[in-house]
Amino acid sequence: MNITASDLILLAHAGFGVTGCLAALWVIVETLNASSSNAARIRSAALLTAVCIAAAWIFGGYWYVHFYAPEKALILKGPWPFAHDIFMETKEHLFFITGILAFLLPIATRDVLHSNAVARRLVLAVASLIVVTGLVVEGAGAVIGHGVKIALLRGGAQGGTK
Amino acid sequence: MNPGNASQNKLSPATAGYVMAATVAVLFNTALAWIKDSSPALNNFMKSLTGHHWTTHGLADLILFLVLGMVFSKSGMAEKMDSGRLITALIAATAVAALGLGLWFAFV
Repeated sequence: MNITASDLILLAHAGFGVTGCLAALWVIVETLNASSSNAARIRSAALLTAVCIAAAWIFGGYWYVHFYAPEKALILKGPWPFAHDIFMETKEHLFFITGILAFLLPIATRDVLHSNAVARRLVLAVASLIVVTGLVVEGAGAVIGHGVKIALLRGGAQGGTK
Repeated sequence: MNPGNASQNKLSPATAGYVMAATVAVLFNTALAWIKDSSPALNNFMKSLTGHHWTTHGLADLILFLVLGMVFSKSGMAEKMDSGRLITALIAATAVAALGLGLWFAFV
């Protein structure tokens, strides 16, 4: 087995990202059933969302800055250059929006949700936007990974026939 | 817990301020991505600040969100606005900013 630091950092990025999305989904479920008894749980889930997305930001950012360049070169020479040109370019900037929303969520859950319909609506909106944008970012990551894979596979196949 | 809004259908001053800050920050994020993508000079300048344009971009978004959040919360500016409209503005800004990024990198 040969697992590099780059592999671990990339998997941590995706893992924290998806855990952040699940935590935001947890916030939605709790908020739909908001009462005085689950107020602390809602705030904990919101904090978990922010912490996970922050960790995904740090791990993903470190990997992108230090390890992405060779993969980018492979993608651009391969059959799916749009995996970088469209998907990575969009993902790397869309992620900031998910991050801002994730940092807003713990602030939004400080209001008294069970007696304030507007505050509940805000929390549901922010958490839903985190889930949607987060899943788009996760999906874009899959396309980027596939862009590298088929560049290697088809590049290798072409190399074998020439 | 933010006091004073428990029985009102209104966001607290702190929450309203940070919602407004987030609305501005998500739109700023997309605008900066567009400008940076069409201006190599700006891209290089941002790279010179932290070593990578993406790092600078993220820090700029974060600082803008936090600073505006503090300003809007303390000034009471956001609190004066209708809370429902603030939420709608945040949803609309997120949708526009996200679509703006996708369409820009797909077609420009």
